[in-house]
Amino acid sequence: MNQLSEEERKRILESAPVGTWVLLLTVGATMVVAWLFLYYGVFLPRGGIQ
Amino acid sequence: MNDAVENKFILSHLWVAFGAFILACFMGVYQVLERSGFIEALTSPSVYFASVSTHGVLMAFVLTTFFIMGFGYYVASTSLKIPIWNKPLAWTGFSIALGGTVLAAIPLLIGKASVLYTFYPPLLAHVSFYIGATLLVVGSWFWCAIMVVMFYQWKKANPNQPVPLAMFATTANALLWLWTSAGVALEVLFQLIPLALGWMDTIDPGLARTLFAWTLHPIVYFWLIPAYTAFYVFVPKQAGGFLFSDEMARVAFIILVVFGLPIGFHHLYMDPEQASGWKLLHAFGTFVVSFPTLITGFTVIASLEIAGRLRGGKGLFGWIGTLPWTNPMTLSVILSLLMLIFGGFGGLVNASYAMNAMIHNTAWVPGHFHLIFGGTTIIMYFAIAYYFWPILTRKPLFSDSLALIQLWTWFIGMAIMTTPWHVLGLLGQPRRISSVAYNSLLTLSWDPYEFVMIFGGFVLLGSACLFIYNLAKTQLSSASAEFVQQVEYAEPIHAVESLPEYLNDFKLWNKVIAVLMFISFGVPILQFFFMDTFGSSGWGY
Repeated sequence: MNQLSEEERKRILESAPVGTWVLLLTVGATMVVAWLFLYYGVFLPRGGIQ
Repeated sequence: MNDAVENKFILSHLWVAFGAFILACFMGVYQVLERSGFIEALTSPSVYFASVSTHGVLMAFVLTTFFIMGFGYYVASTSLKIPIWNKPLAWTGFSIALGGTVLAAIPLLIGKASVLYTFYPPLLAHVSFYIGATLLVVGSWFWCAIMVVMFYQWKKANPNQPVPLAMFATTANALLWLWTSAGVALEVLFQLIPLALGWMDTIDPGLARTLFAWTLHPIVYFWLIPAYTAFYVFVPKQAGGFLFSDEMARVAFIILVVFGLPIGFHHLYMDPEQASGWKLLHAFGTFVVSFPTLITGFTVIASLEIAGRLRGGKGLFGWIGTLPWTNPMTLSVILSLLMLIFGGFGGLVNASYAMNAMIHNTAWVPGHFHLIFGGTTIIMYFAIAYYFWPILTRKPLFSDSLALIQLWTWFIGMAIMTTPWHVLGLLGQPRRISSVAYNSLLTLSWDPYEFVMIFGGFVLLGSACLFIYNLAKTQLSSASAEFVQQVEYAEPIHAVESLPEYLNDFKLWNKVIAVLMFISFGVPILQFFFMDTFGSSGWGY
């Protein structure tokens, strides 16, 4: 365990979880792109049921 | 607070759960081999469907129900710091559930209940299967009642105090299960058992499927909530940090319970018995349920980020590397979230009203639910077991490194098995068939994927054996008098001193659920009593 001063510890506990935001926004955006790819790139080109 | 008797009681639940699990794993490997058609000697539709029905029942009903009950009893007694209420009643519930499991297992194993774990009529099983399944559910209702009583006992003794988060989540799950199991209970009691006994000549499959849809989707959250509970109450502490927000966790559980219930029609998008409008309503509800998962993802990852930074992690993602990857709970949550991302994406495709037509009843669907259930959920059951076993047995875990190898191999095996499964679905391979060996160009193109799936299945079986071996060796090792380990619940960054009643109780939410369930299922069920439908005679047994 890293030795932190009380001040550093408090700063970490009170700071915004920026890494989490970036990670989740990236995952969310990727999921939207993947969904759009499946819809427009795979589903619609298959056309109606023959 | 846990004494030796309670520990034994909880271990009994967990061993039944994991006994069912390992048996089902062997069946899973047989099924993936049989279905490929590569080994002609194994080909047998009757054995395949007996196996796949048993596999599904053991995994989806027996493993989950017994694990959740054992987990709930432990969480209730340790988080509330009171003994389990009415132990004779708890043992009665366990005995009824176990007796029901044995009763259902007999027809399953001799091929008299090959109706899959969804038992959609007009498929018909021997009546003892339905009675056994009913007893399993009835036994679990004893657990639900005990959880609710303990919740309110504690509240009465601690007025205006926030109920510990672990118990709040467990009670939410008990209430969810009471609500959700009502649908299948109605189907079994008023349709399937009378038909199986010959009291009725025909059955209305539309009504049966509607009642099962009441149960079929929220049951997934019943399985998942213990995993989410561990995410919130164990993981932050095990990772060396704090829970980002206690209140957000409660909001996630409430949304999951309230909106997880009235959404089952996304399983019926292709069914004729319900109108499109009702299906669309359930489709919107299904997307609402992605919110508690997003909240959970955010809160848990934020908790991990804090832990990683407290351990010296710097920069945007430097905290990931400083997390204790050799801690089974921390490793499990990372692997679980990774599988949740991919499985959750598959779920969004399933829930999309139009696009569902592309993957409906294809291999995509079992690929999806194996990733969410077998992956995201079960890997957390493993983590909980590794955490609880030393506490419950008062013996150190036989091998920490074996546990880490097991978790990694489970993740790798699940990725290897479910990725081609999804692809096969997109290529049009149907699910619920016993063989794909038709020797057409289309089915021959499936062979490489089948081969990879078989490999993945064997990796998973090996991993499952390692898991059972580690637990058994721990339990059978000689006791050490000085070894004592206590459960540690994560503290939130900001201690919760008081909460509004709607974040600390379920009275309001039960009323909201009643209204939503009436809106979502009232007319769709009542219509069967006001319009002419045509029954079907049962078949399959």
